[in-house]
Amino acid sequence: MSDVIDEPTVLTPLRGKRLGPLFWVCVGWLALNVLAAILANFLPLIDPLFQNYNVINAGPSLHHLLGTDDLGRDILSRIVFGSRVSLAVGSGAMLIGFGVGMPLGMLAAYRRGRFDSILTAVMYVLLAFPAIIAVIAVISFWTPRTLLKIIIVIGLASVPLVYRVIRGATLAVATKDYVIAAQVQGCTDRRILFRELLPNIAPIAVSFLLIGVATVVTLEGALAFLGLSVNPPTPSWGNMINESRTVMAQNPWLVIFPSLALCLFLLCLNFIGDRLRSYFDVTEVKL
Amino acid sequence: MSDHRTPLLKVRDLTVTFGKGTRSVSAVAGVSFDVYEGETLGLVGESGCGKSTTGKALMKIVAPTSGSIELNGVDITHQRGRALRHARTHMQMIFQDPISSLNPRRRVRSIVAEPLDAWKTASGAERDRIVNDLLNKVGIDPEVYGNRYARQFSGGQCQRISIARSLAMRPQMLICDEVVSALDVSVQAQILNLLEDLKAEYGLTLLFIAHDLAVVKNISDRVAVMYLGKICEIGPSDTLYETPGHPYTQFLLGAALEADPDSVDAGTVLEGEPPSPHDPPSGCRFRTRCPFATERCAAEEPQLREVAVGHQVACHYPFAAA
Amino acid sequence: MTDRLLVVENLRTTFRTVSGVIPAVGGVSFDLGANETLGIVGESGSGKTVLARTIMGLQPRTNIEVSGSVLLNGQQVVGASERVMREMWATQVAMVFQDPMTSLNPVMRIGRQIDETLRVRLGMDRRAARARAIELLNMVGIPSAEARYRAFPTELSGGMRQRVVIATALACSPKLLIADEPTTGLDVTIQSQILNLLDSLKQQLDMSVILITHDLGVVATRTSRIIVMYAGQIVEMGATRDIFHHHRMRYTRALLDSSPKVANPSHTRLAVIPGRPPNLSTLPPGCHFAPRCAFATEQCHRERPTLQAADSPGHVFACWNPLAASTNEGDSTR
Repeated sequence: MSDVIDEPTVLTPLRGKRLGPLFWVCVGWLALNVLAAILANFLPLIDPLFQNYNVINAGPSLHHLLGTDDLGRDILSRIVFGSRVSLAVGSGAMLIGFGVGMPLGMLAAYRRGRFDSILTAVMYVLLAFPAIIAVIAVISFWTPRTLLKIIIVIGLASVPLVYRVIRGATLAVATKDYVIAAQVQGCTDRRILFRELLPNIAPIAVSFLLIGVATVVTLEGALAFLGLSVNPPTPSWGNMINESRTVMAQNPWLVIFPSLALCLFLLCLNFIGDRLRSYFDVTEVKL
Repeated sequence: MSDHRTPLLKVRDLTVTFGKGTRSVSAVAGVSFDVYEGETLGLVGESGCGKSTTGKALMKIVAPTSGSIELNGVDITHQRGRALRHARTHMQMIFQDPISSLNPRRRVRSIVAEPLDAWKTASGAERDRIVNDLLNKVGIDPEVYGNRYARQFSGGQCQRISIARSLAMRPQMLICDEVVSALDVSVQAQILNLLEDLKAEYGLTLLFIAHDLAVVKNISDRVAVMYLGKICEIGPSDTLYETPGHPYTQFLLGAALEADPDSVDAGTVLEGEPPSPHDPPSGCRFRTRCPFATERCAAEEPQLREVAVGHQVACHYPFAAA
Repeated sequence: MTDRLLVVENLRTTFRTVSGVIPAVGGVSFDLGANETLGIVGESGSGKTVLARTIMGLQPRTNIEVSGSVLLNGQQVVGASERVMREMWATQVAMVFQDPMTSLNPVMRIGRQIDETLRVRLGMDRRAARARAIELLNMVGIPSAEARYRAFPTELSGGMRQRVVIATALACSPKLLIADEPTTGLDVTIQSQILNLLDSLKQQLDMSVILITHDLGVVATRTSRIIVMYAGQIVEMGATRDIFHHHRMRYTRALLDSSPKVANPSHTRLAVIPGRPPNLSTLPPGCHFAPRCAFATEQCHRERPTLQAADSPGHVFACWNPLAASTNEGDSTR
């Protein structure tokens, strides 16, 4: 009676997918940025607010590695301290955006029905409203401006975007048979959300998170450029670029270095996000 | 043949309607049948006849619109929450697409253990023992393959893992929805034999939903034929295949391709396609394609009537049993 | 051999992938006469689909190596330029795929899709193309063809879509139609409709058909010859009746035995082929089927069998330890 049954021979696993050296260079650069921002107070940096009138608009030198600005402040130090604002806004706002948008998006896609239709309709109305104008309006009138308020406003403004991406990603997974199978086995909704859905949308969420941080950092730069970010003299990448506008002709370093810092940071984030997405995409594996 | 026994699953006037108003579709339009303990009931029909929806409605994956489902004498039609989750452990389902049935990011062992973990029925060494046992039963070596990811397996192997998972809670009943239709012929035979073995070993009752008449014949004790949301014939499989009472069943059998160059299958081809379930024909649903249809078929809907012991046909003019 | 429409000689199609070299078609030779229907049977990974696409000249040109010869009506397909192939697709050979939705453009009315072929390939004007398209739709049995001419593919059922695909394939009256699993995924009743349609079109248009399938039932009554493929090679080839009743190769027998039959009483234990089709990148040195064959000898594992002639003309098989010539009559239809 007993059959000789299928001798399982496992299919070829992941076909040589690698993150590549450039990925790790990017990770290293980001880590350096984050570490510097956290440890700024302990680093041998000149006080970013200290004005040394002896060296105004100086180019890079041994003492001031990246030169000084029109008030004689050290640019390297201001970039490092300025990264704190950019990083805080970027991560803080995304924390709020994902904290609110992700559970809502997952629940809506999993539950469907009226909850989903109403919530999605609301989110789409919000999406239709130009977020940048809303953010500018709220920030201009909600005085005094503090870093926390900026984070909250940008964070809330990002909720509909996060919601849309997460809901879409969850929808694609929630209709799979293994989710139905889990329901059929008597798993609770919470268990299904965490054990079946979350691991499968995590890669998309992470890569979108990184791209989101990049977008918010740019947004902070734009707000600073309009004079709507943290109040001077506190440095941020955005308001450094903003302030340097007037003296660009005399001291190009003043605009080049903060822009370069911002640019590299964004490039790394986007690259990492994109690489992670394709690395974790198991559907690409199937022959 | 088995009417004196008590049914494990009792389905009465089950309907499932999708959508509302004029755009609604009755995928299942009043289906009644019993599944007796220890038997295999085959459910055949063409795509869109509502056989898969029936299976999903029994598991309450789609909500039944009306009718009743009784499992072990308990009405589960309106159960929700924990009671429903509990009822589902007695009845499990295996799906058509073996690859999509398993979470690609989880390991085989964790997939099979999921029901045990969700219900906290076993833990530690006991849990491992049950999982290993189940995997061995379906022919997957737990030592070698237990820690692999589901995405590394072929269709047949995934189907084995699905079967192992469905057995973890020791269900009384398995609903198999087209479980072999995505598999190669040689692998299909392996899975069918495996199901027969497990059925004997665990004393399972099977509802086997498929479009392939030969597969259904092979595994079922009784067969129900569905057309456009209704059962048109139900009976013991040997009788039903030898002396079909409903013209549709006869056409279906005539269209089944035999792997035999001497079989004659020309001439018995059923013309046309099933009408839209949005707007089913009046009276008998098959009348638009039935060469024997009369005015009575349009006016009056035929009910299932017994033509032989345990053999019921929903036709005004059933073929007489030979 | 001039009456042969298609002559395939020692055809090899090899994929180069990251995980190694995959000989999807490993040296296949056969020919096909005019107005003949040939069945190619095999499980997934047997190379039947790759073979069809190679004959069609449809394989991508990167990471692939095609050698051997495919003569279609005297014209070489292997290594032919895309321009030459385009010319051939117009009038010589056409293909019908398993999933009609992959060959129909979902946002284009079906009439336009047939028109397009006619106008581009045959240079018909709009009016003539339209008339011909409707004629084709009628020919493949689409009811109210004039109205359906303006329908989108999604508005049609699976069976109707497959008819449209067949109409498109026949637009330029090809000499050879390759149908790759044309009825898989269709309902049984629709399946026989489509197969009957192909049969009658073959007679009507005097073309040859290659019917590729995994289902022995599909080829049993509609082909004159059958090729059984396993792991990229022909393991048995012969007249349909010979393949079903006088097969010599162990795999053919196993395949026949493992498919359930309507005539069997219920709970018939199915004969099972253990294991799975082999991984093409790591093929065994001997007979490819040997690891799964209950009758494999030491020689089977060591040496690859070549095709040898059986009793009836045109019947060949590759097996060291074949079934006896006459004892398997009727066994396959148990």
